[in-house]
Formats: sequence, C-alpha cells, structure tokens
Amino acid sequence: MTRKSINKADNVAITTNSLMPRTQMPLRTLMISMTVMCYLASLAIGALLLITRAVDDWTSEISGEVTVQVRPTNDAKMNDKLAQAASILKATRGVTSVDILDKNAGNKLLEPWLGNAEILNQLPVPRLIAVAIDQKNPPDFEILAKKLSETIKGASLDTHRRWQTELTRMGSNLVWLGIGILALITVSAIALVIFASRSALDVNREVVEVLHFVGASDKYIARQVQWQFLRAGLQSGLIGTIAGLATFFLLGISSSVTSSNGLAAASYSLLIGTPDVTFSSYLLFLLVPILTTLICLIAARLAILRILGNAI
Amino acid sequence: MSGPGSIVSLQNVGLRYGKGREVLRDVNLELQRGSMQFLTGPSGAGKTSLLRLLFLAKRPTRGLISMFGRDIATLPHKSLPPLRQKIGVVFQDFRLLDHLTVFENVALPLRVSGKKPNEYRENVIELLGWVGLSEYADAYPPVLSGGEKQRAAIARAVVTQPELLLADEPTGNVDPALALRLMRLFRELNKFGTTIVIATHDTTLIKKATSPVLVLNDGQLGFEG
Ligand SMILES: Nc1ncnc2c1ncn2[C@@H]1O[C@H](COP(=O)(O)OP(=O)(O)OP(=O)(O)O)[C@@H](O)[C@H]1O
Ligand SMILES: [Mg+2]
Repeated sequence: MTRKSINKADNVAITTNSLMPRTQMPLRTLMISMTVMCYLASLAIGALLLITRAVDDWTSEISGEVTVQVRPTNDAKMNDKLAQAASILKATRGVTSVDILDKNAGNKLLEPWLGNAEILNQLPVPRLIAVAIDQKNPPDFEILAKKLSETIKGASLDTHRRWQTELTRMGSNLVWLGIGILALITVSAIALVIFASRSALDVNREVVEVLHFVGASDKYIARQVQWQFLRAGLQSGLIGTIAGLATFFLLGISSSVTSSNGLAAASYSLLIGTPDVTFSSYLLFLLVPILTTLICLIAARLAILRILGNAI
Repeated sequence: MSGPGSIVSLQNVGLRYGKGREVLRDVNLELQRGSMQFLTGPSGAGKTSLLRLLFLAKRPTRGLISMFGRDIATLPHKSLPPLRQKIGVVFQDFRLLDHLTVFENVALPLRVSGKKPNEYRENVIELLGWVGLSEYADAYPPVLSGGEKQRAAIARAVVTQPELLLADEPTGNVDPALALRLMRLFRELNKFGTTIVIATHDTTLIKKATSPVLVLNDGQLGFEG
C-alpha cells in the first residue's frame, strides 16, 4: 500500500508505506484455513437448522386417530365400561367420532399371534375404542387420559406419541452434537489466529524492534497488523459462508431434478422457501462472517499484545 | 545518589547475556543533563552493551539504573515507550527499515508519536539536507552506501531533538571531513540541551573535541582527561 504526494517546494515525492510489510505469508495461510472452517461452520449451521425444523414438523403433527384400550377387570362388566368410556369421549371437545371396535374385530387383530379366535373368546382380551380427532382443534390428551384412567378401571389412552418423543430426543442429541462441532471450530479458529499473529510478528521481528526503540507502544504496533487480520477474517468468512449457502442451495434445487427427497426439500425450504423461514436461516448464516471477523480482530490483537508484553 | 542535574545514574551495574560471563561489572556512571561525552574502549569491552542498558533494550542483571528520575528495574513495560521517545539512538548496525524510504525512516519517530506527515515534512527534508541526503529522500536503504546509511540513522536519531542521544560509532563509516560535519551537528544539538553519549574508537575525533571521555576496559568503566 503506497500513497504518493508531491511536495512542490522541494520536489520530493513522499511515500507512505505500511510499517509491517511482511505479513502476507502468514495471512494467506490463515485465510485458506479460515475459509475452510467457515465453510464447515455454515454446513454445521445448515444441518442444525434442518434437524430442528424436521423434529419440529414431526412432533407438531397431531395424529388424526388415537385409541382407548379397556382391559377387563372383575369389578364391572366390559360393556358398561365401554359405554362409560364412549360417553366421556363423546363429551370431549375435539373428538369427532367414537367407534367401539367389536370383540371379533379386536380378536381378528390378535389372531395372527394367538391363533384361533375361539380360544380368544374365553381369554380376558382388552377391547379397543377408535377415536377420531379434529386435528385443527385437538383435545388436551393429558387431561383426557387422566379422566379415563381415573373413572374407568383398566382404561388407557394411546396417542402413538412415544415414537415422537424418541425422535425429539434423537433430534436434540444431534443439535448438541452440532453445537459441539461449532464450538470446536471456533476454538481451532482462535488457535489459528494466535499462531498466525505469532508468525506475523516473527517475520517482522526487526521492524518490531526498531518500532519499540523509536518509542512505539505495543498498542501502536498491534494496530499496524490487526486491521490486516480483520480484513482476512472478513474475506474468509464471506467466502466460506457463501460456499456453504451454495451447497444447501444446490441441494435444494436438486429436488426438482431428481425424484423428491426429504433432504433436498428441506434444504430448499431453508433458503428459498417462505420468507419467515429463510429470514432466520440467513441471519444464522450471517453470524459466521461476523464472528470470524471479530475472532480475527480480537484474537490477533490480544495475542500480539501478549507477545509484545513479554519483551523487556 | 542521583543529583538534581543528573539525567542518567548507574550504581554498581552488572550485565550478563544469558548464562555467560558478566560483560559489564560494577559500572558507576552519572550523566549530567546537557553534558556531552565520549565512550571508548577496545572492541568487545562492552560499549554497545552499556548503551543497550541506556536505551532500555536490556535491564541490568544487578545494580541500580535510574533514568529521567525513574528506577528502571521497577519500571513497568507500559511506561517504556514514553521514556524511549525522549531518547535518540544511532545503532552501530544502523537498523534502518528496508521497506521504508529514507524520508520515512528518518521520520519514523515522529510518525510513531502520532504526528502527521504535513506537520513534519519540512523539518525532515531540512534535516536530510543537513546530513547530505536530500537526493536520497525517496530511495530505499538497500541502495545506500554504508556512510549514507549511517547518516540516515543519525538523522532518525536526532529528528525529535531528544533529551538524550546515544550514538554507537556514528562516524565509523564516513570520511574525516563528514565526520567533523556530523560532530558539528551533535554539538549543535548539545547546545540546545540534548545530553549526548558517543561511543567510538576514533581517537582523532576524541582529541579534536574537548568533551570528557569514559573508558570501558573489559566491562569496567574508568574516566580519562
Ligand atoms: N547479544 C549478545 N549475546 C551474547 N553476548 C553478547 C551479545 N552482545 C554482546 N555480547 C558480548 O558482550 C561483550 C561486549 O560486547 P559489546 O558489543 O558491548 O562490545 P563493544 O565494546 O561494543 O565492541 P565493539 O567496539 O566491537 O562494538 C562481548 O564479549 C560480546 O561477545
Ligand atoms: Mg559495539
């Protein structure tokens, strides 16, 4: 970086060279690794978004049908209990229809496992009630389940929710994994910047010494390099993130080429879908170059001040 | 004890590099503000080492140093830059920055202290004229001769009119006529209040001047004349 201005009186061209000249090498190495890290970080962020969205979708989907199971007990007749359950269900808002499956229907279901229906007639087999649910306005399943089991001995509500809980747990484990990966990337990015700062000072050792002797403070010397680190951080942050976005974009539009697949569709909706979804995705992706720039500036400055502080 | 007029005071100072022998031993020295003296002695006697202590490149391994009324041993790292800005140094090996022009090299102490080129341009150009480097303002140090580098180094050391000027063999690479001219520059500065120490082997230079002479011999300081 050279600025020239002519001093007319003496006809001397005055140049202004940067005080720390030989930082290109460490900075170039830093930029390459930082770009890769930013790419990986945006892949991790994209994957995190896809997972949380998918888990949200699965768990928010209310199943249209639930079943009530009534086990035979000694205290009351099965038919009475079924009727009681049916009346509770019918009185519940959000329930659209109640269908007591007859004994044979229930037995038919069990036949493949237990064999002859005749034998089943003599066994205390539980009876089932199929309940259709208004998906837009579902009942509170917890209250309903409690009411059923409290008023009718042996009655229980099955909402098929167990597998959803499993999915949610797996999803949140994956989210923590993603956050862990992002944290590791951040740590190694900081380590890289510190390393690059050290070599930037090393290759400029003589310059740093002379600057000290003419009375430059550590902060002054740090200022000569920290902006170069800031620029390197911004550049690699932007390139890496754009590459990451491009990856998800390509994944997204590939759904129209190949047969529909879940990942592609999800990637598509992440970046190109409705604005309320894409806005928050882009915001998260934007964090990558911002944080990278800050890490480069702050870590470089602190590392340089620390190294210089150890001289005499 | 350091008197009121003393700018530098050393008491029983010793210096060693790493685990090596002591290259300075029991050095006692008092520099009066506004004084000018030579420092001489055989090669390897420790002249450069003594100057290193004085321009705060090293701390003594033992003894007391006080400069500008401050104890160097307890001086925090943060307080070094303002002290160094009061000291001009001519290094035996020049230490010019090869990527800066002669003008920029000479102006470096001013630039570092936060001054803008417009404020110091005239002064620096005038100083370059004084040391005979006007034509080289735009040149880079690698193309200069040894004597030209030396003059640029001297110009950088005096450009701020420092309170203390430490010159290590400042006339080692120039012809006798130019050496006398540079000595005139030093005396001129001294008249305006700069305290000066000149380390040199050049006995003719010392004889021509009337300044007191400090002699270092194998790490020990004596006085002469
Ligand atoms: N950085 C260093 N590390 C180790 N030893 C050193 C260092 N600098 C100087 N010495 C040793 O200290 C002693 C004094 O060296 P110094 O440079 O102070 O002598 P000098 O009087 O300036 O010599 P000259 O007239 O040749 O410049 C020498 O024996 C030298 O080997
Ligand atoms: Mg020497």
